[in-house]
Amino acid sequence: MSYAHLLYLAASSFSQSSLFAVADGIDSSIRPLPWWWHVTWVCAIIALVSAASFYRWIMNQSEGNERMQEIARYVRDGAYAYLHRQYRVVTIFFIVISVLLAIMAFGLQVQHRLVPFAFLTGGFFSGLAGFFGMKTATSASARTAQGASYSLDQGLKLAFRAGAVMGLTVVGLAMLDISLWFLYLYKFHHVLFGGEPMSLETITVVMLCFGMGASSQALFARVGGGIYTKAADVGADLVGKVEAGIPEDDPRNPATIADNVGDNVGDVAGMGADLYESYAGSILATMALGVAAVSFGGVPEGFESAFSAQLAFLSGPMVLAALGILLSLAGIFLVTTKEGATMKDLMWSLNKGIWGSSALVVAVAIVIMPMLLPASVAWGVVSAITIGLLVGLVIGYGTEFYTSAEFKPTKGIADQAVSGTGPLIIDGIAAGLMSTWIPITAVCVGMMVSFAMCRGFENLAMGLYGVGMASVGMLSTLGITLATDAYGPIADNAGGNAEMAGLAKEVRERTDALDSLGNTTAAVGKGFAIGSAALTSLALLAAYIEEVRVGIHREAAAVYQVEEGADYNVLDLGFGKYGLFFPGSDSSHLGNYTISAIRSTSDNSVEVMVNGEPVGMIINHIGASVKPSTADPAISELIATTPAGLFDFMEYYEVTLMNPKVLVGIFAGVLMVFVFGAMTMKAVGRAAMAMVMEVRRQFRELPGIMEGTTTPDYARCVAISTAGAQREMIRPSLLAVLAPVLVGLLLGVAGVMGLLVGGLCAGFAMAVFMANAGGAWDNAKKLIETGQHGGKGSDPHKSAVVGDTVGDPFKDTTGPSLNILIKLMNMVSIVFAGLVVKFAPEIAAFLGMGH
Amino acid sequence: MDIHLYLMCYRTEALVASQLEAEEFGQYMAVGTRKKTFGNVVFFEIDPKFRSPDLHLDEVEAKCKARPDGTPRRSKYMSLYRVMERIPLSAYGKLHLTTRDGRVLSLDGREFEEEPTSKGPFMYAELCPLTSRVVSHLSPKAFTQRITDSATTVYVPRIFFAETLVELDSEGRLASYLPYANPGHIEDCLREVEEHPNKLSKTVDRNPPLQAFYRTIASGFYLGDSTGIKFYRYPDVATLDADHHKWWRSASMG
Repeated sequence: MSYAHLLYLAASSFSQSSLFAVADGIDSSIRPLPWWWHVTWVCAIIALVSAASFYRWIMNQSEGNERMQEIARYVRDGAYAYLHRQYRVVTIFFIVISVLLAIMAFGLQVQHRLVPFAFLTGGFFSGLAGFFGMKTATSASARTAQGASYSLDQGLKLAFRAGAVMGLTVVGLAMLDISLWFLYLYKFHHVLFGGEPMSLETITVVMLCFGMGASSQALFARVGGGIYTKAADVGADLVGKVEAGIPEDDPRNPATIADNVGDNVGDVAGMGADLYESYAGSILATMALGVAAVSFGGVPEGFESAFSAQLAFLSGPMVLAALGILLSLAGIFLVTTKEGATMKDLMWSLNKGIWGSSALVVAVAIVIMPMLLPASVAWGVVSAITIGLLVGLVIGYGTEFYTSAEFKPTKGIADQAVSGTGPLIIDGIAAGLMSTWIPITAVCVGMMVSFAMCRGFENLAMGLYGVGMASVGMLSTLGITLATDAYGPIADNAGGNAEMAGLAKEVRERTDALDSLGNTTAAVGKGFAIGSAALTSLALLAAYIEEVRVGIHREAAAVYQVEEGADYNVLDLGFGKYGLFFPGSDSSHLGNYTISAIRSTSDNSVEVMVNGEPVGMIINHIGASVKPSTADPAISELIATTPAGLFDFMEYYEVTLMNPKVLVGIFAGVLMVFVFGAMTMKAVGRAAMAMVMEVRRQFRELPGIMEGTTTPDYARCVAISTAGAQREMIRPSLLAVLAPVLVGLLLGVAGVMGLLVGGLCAGFAMAVFMANAGGAWDNAKKLIETGQHGGKGSDPHKSAVVGDTVGDPFKDTTGPSLNILIKLMNMVSIVFAGLVVKFAPEIAAFLGMGH
Repeated sequence: MDIHLYLMCYRTEALVASQLEAEEFGQYMAVGTRKKTFGNVVFFEIDPKFRSPDLHLDEVEAKCKARPDGTPRRSKYMSLYRVMERIPLSAYGKLHLTTRDGRVLSLDGREFEEEPTSKGPFMYAELCPLTSRVVSHLSPKAFTQRITDSATTVYVPRIFFAETLVELDSEGRLASYLPYANPGHIEDCLREVEEHPNKLSKTVDRNPPLQAFYRTIASGFYLGDSTGIKFYRYPDVATLDADHHKWWRSASMG
């Protein structure tokens, strides 16, 4: 490989950097916590206390009459039954994966020993957030219906604050998880287990691994919830509405409770777990990039040491996200409305909160970023944050444009219904395909501009940090944006409760208005979730390379050896990788490794030769004693220079389009999107069929149901949908977890990069297409139901119902699951990077595919 | 248990005796005892004292008995085919409109003498014994008299029909909320009737799909012959939604 001739050792400024506190003259045993860390936990606690306070306020409201309470109880019991079963399956999955991770960490030594624990906490907190969100949502629906009997504002407040419990719980738990892990790794891990304090690089990459726990939980919640909700919906619609002719939310329909439960498990627990992962993932990836930016780009002006600079860059995403919680909270209090509000008024009520929070985030970023970061970087970061927020808003309103019945695309689909089902399906697909241009363009522009604003074209790592900060900015108001998402199913359930309980006309009109608003906010929320996944992706790709780098360090550490009395020694790790080990200043050997490899110039480096041949990749041990003034002439001649950066790794692993492994990886990523999509949609079909059979059976065997004299067996429908969802979610979930590992082992880092890029590009476009096409078909049907083109029962309506049935798994199962697929593949790749780095070359050599 | 007489006259014409109250009977006819969809059911309640050997009602007590297990007899078909014309108008009681899932709305009937407030054209859904949809210049009263006029060569002894909504927008297109199939053809028929005043009525469809039927009803239902007309006024949508919400929600589905 010609590259071997170009890689040289550099005992660089990086090697002198503050990977060890000792090196910065800080006494490691009393390494003080930075002031801003207190901001993170305080904000997390405020979020959780506010969520608890909202929850208490909600629970103090009346749940209405006995009938309303009974219906709410059915839904609540169904939701708990679902969660109980889901958590049982997920627990088994987590145990198995934790054991595998433990084997990798303790047996194979290809990853940090804390990774299995980080994985578990990520999953645990994500599950906890989903549980609290669902608990609140199922308690709030009857109360919202009762609140609507007093006033529209009271109904809105109840539903929205219940959604806010979800939003605040997600951001509070995520921030608490991040804050506590930072505290432990920064301050206590070395105290408890001995050794040097952990470097900030190691801290960030270990923390990043809890993202896989959150992603796995999110995938199960999204896929399982998505299959559940659509199985119940299709069962309720096909038998209840079409065959039995009974309206939606009619208590005689055995699947109606399962349908309402589905709204909660899909759009509350699923969405919560999804965005928990996005939120934590974007913060953690940006933290890792911030630390790496200093490592690769050098110490910016204004900092005494690399360590203080790394700490400052690490603080940016944490502090911004933490303060974003407070600003979301402020926004939540802005959401009120007046009696008799129109749809426009209601939308404005929610927008007031979202826009208010976003504006406050920009204002706070203007104040706080210059305090944390050097002026040369701070304003670029503030711009990136603003761009991230704008991208979020553009994606949200782009989604609204393509899915709301107020605008041309959805009206056009409704118009096509007059011509029949075929034209309606074609137009829906066309609208969905076309709708991808707004979020994709927004993300592309946001990525490029935030990269450029942070001078990414001069300093790649800093540009990536800027893109990461844009994604953190976009998600900084998650507390309120998630509140608007979770509001949707709560309002929907409130409408169902009002209908089933036979509440007065004005109450139903109010819950209908709230529900109608919820449909729009749910669609916007899905667009936002997908957009955030895409914007975070670049940061996660860079984080993957960072993990590869750390993976190589670990590989070297596993064979750590120093010849007594030698200043350094080089060990051939095979496949072009060499470990270079130095004793520390006290002749002891520290446990951290990094890689340094640069292109040679005649001025700054000397080629390292091993057995007379230049070596390809050098892994050097950088102890505190490593200085340019080492006794070894080969090393001492090296001038401080940049250590191996992202491009060096891309080059070393031949991540180029001319490498067939990359191209095959890209195809594999695209294929994953299609196969995963097919599996989830097929799963809906099978689960729905079981539900259809059950509903038919109940109508057949319990004749009193239609007469209203016998209560249907709601619990059985819930159980069938739950069992179906749990059974069906296993295969697609396993595919998502196994594919990156298998591709990594077969095609190496280059193949994984291809897989991630292919999955990202195809998955992002496909997710937007499916979510928007499904949303547009749904709203086209609703538009017709308002009386357009013949209204309910007409032929166009029948066509629109078919469109809606096709769109249901599009928008509620496969579409939302795809963005988790993208993130989970990223996270799995990150966590298993060490494994791939170590074994992929051996497998490739065995298969005769290079290394 | 009392015996009730019900005349079904929506596509199927049959006189049925039953020990069920009208609401139970409607639900039973719509959904059965096992869930089977029979579609909308429209039936009149007939004076229970009415007897007619022609319609085998002298045997009704013998035939319509409670079942051996003591449960009421749900339905005993007493007579089929050309039943409606053989029951005097005075014996017709309430009209019950049943949806596909068994919700029942009951309408009271009254003698009808009014002159139309609208000059037309009107659209009528003939329900029994004819089943066509027609547009016509004739008001409900005139239409009834015309079609039951034995002096003409083409007539029926009695007609049961509904006046259905026909609203045009400013461009002469059928209002978009109306669920009729092939609205363009209805517009053509309306235009033809308007352009040819001598053409009293025109058949739109000989056997129209009665989809979302209850959403199309205008003034109400008419039962009449040359001796008189009984009118069953249909409530407006606001009243239906407010006072008969469950029925209207179900009726709106199809």
